[in-house]
Amino acid sequence: MFELASFNIGGHELFVLPFGDIVNYFTPYTAALFIFALIFTIICIISKPERQLETAFGTDAIYAKEVTGKDLRFRRFMAIACGIATMGAVTSGDIFNFTLFVSMVGICIIGIVASVKYKHVLNAAFNYGIISMLATIPLFGGAAITLAATGTLSIWELSAMAPAMPGIAKALILVGVMGEGIAPFYAAKAELFRAPGAPYVIMIHVSSLLMFLRVVEIMLAV
Amino acid sequence: MIGYLIAAPFLGLLFMGIHRKVIARIQGRPGPPIWQEILHTLKFSFKETWVPRTASKTLFIGIVFVAIAIWVGALCVVLLGGSLLLLFGIYMVQKMVEHGVGLSPGSPYAKFGGVRSVISASSEIPLFAVIGGIYFFTGSLMISDIIQYQADNGPLLFSLLPAAIAMYIVILSKMHYGPFSIVEAKEIVSGYKTEHFGAWRAGLEISDAIRTVVLLMAFVLLFWGALSPLLLIIAMLIILVSLSFVCAVTPMLNPYDSVTMQLVIIVILVAWMAILGLIA
Repeated sequence: MFELASFNIGGHELFVLPFGDIVNYFTPYTAALFIFALIFTIICIISKPERQLETAFGTDAIYAKEVTGKDLRFRRFMAIACGIATMGAVTSGDIFNFTLFVSMVGICIIGIVASVKYKHVLNAAFNYGIISMLATIPLFGGAAITLAATGTLSIWELSAMAPAMPGIAKALILVGVMGEGIAPFYAAKAELFRAPGAPYVIMIHVSSLLMFLRVVEIMLAV
Repeated sequence: MIGYLIAAPFLGLLFMGIHRKVIARIQGRPGPPIWQEILHTLKFSFKETWVPRTASKTLFIGIVFVAIAIWVGALCVVLLGGSLLLLFGIYMVQKMVEHGVGLSPGSPYAKFGGVRSVISASSEIPLFAVIGGIYFFTGSLMISDIIQYQADNGPLLFSLLPAAIAMYIVILSKMHYGPFSIVEAKEIVSGYKTEHFGAWRAGLEISDAIRTVVLLMAFVLLFWGALSPLLLIIAMLIILVSLSFVCAVTPMLNPYDSVTMQLVIIVILVAWMAILGLIA
């Protein structure tokens, strides 16, 4: 009964869970992305942060940064939420659900960064926040145009009648995902890496990367 | 399959040894024996293994297993003719592994290696050019379908040369001592691997070895098609020697130049592929 039309992109479906025309599914590709997100989320749950070594400016002194107490709990919570949202984004069979999960990832990324009480890191979080908020406009705009043009947001249905999704909708969603997952592009700046807590910082990059990989599959499939 | 999985680390380490030897001979040095990397890995396996006091212990250890697992998975994808998109997804997850290995110990040298691995994300952009080009020409991203397409229509190496060059640059950016190897530059000791010693380092070496085999094998299968095992190894060796030649005669770029250079190359290749698409 169920056969994924875009099997030549991510492989044949391994598992389907239909809710009306919204069919959530696993292909080898999305299953692999889900497993990556799950592994890194588990690492965030069970791992304690490292103690980043820094040299005090103008001296030979070296000190280790510590992540303790409330900071640790909040950052871990946001990292886990980020991981769960990422898992939702990679398994979703619906464009609107996908955009919602992507927005959640964007919010969680800001949360992970913003909980570090250093001026430069907070400044970086403020920048991410602005970009993420702006990115929701093309993200949901792309989904709205898709619904208006095709009458459905189901990736399953859209892939069956591909190429159905308007090019402008694809472009908008792509821009939106880039905006929400912009954090790694700030890597050239030092701010992000002044934040100790490797498992949580890595979750920022993992979620952004997996969103990109998923959106590439969606763009090719629909 | 199991035979391939067992042989891949040894073949990869041998390839890495040949890579070092070729570079040395081009530069007029005797160089190490070609089995040096195998000895290296064995040596690390039996050395004292520790976790730095400042490290995030679970991440420090767990990321080594992730590194091996993803490339074993990638080898399975290539051997079973799975999705090219999945293979490249794994390639991109390698970036997270480098990042995790670099950030987990808390050391500034390793951290800089990890940071550089993220800013060298430009090396991933050619991947999308490869994916887009191949999908446009063959109508599928399954490696088995791409091999079949080449059996019917001839190698993609000639008809899709810009995509082949893009993938060549992707492999080059992951080779040791290459112009884009900024994550392991000597000014940051061993880059992201600086604090991983003993068995952890051996694990990372094995992961690198399997990665070398997977990327070279994928290049041959994607742009030449199916070959017998012996011819496949010879073809991989030829590509490896050409990569070694490039690594030997080019200086290691600084991070800024490395990123700029990769971006410029990819813009040219994408434009070239767009022209090919318009002609087709």
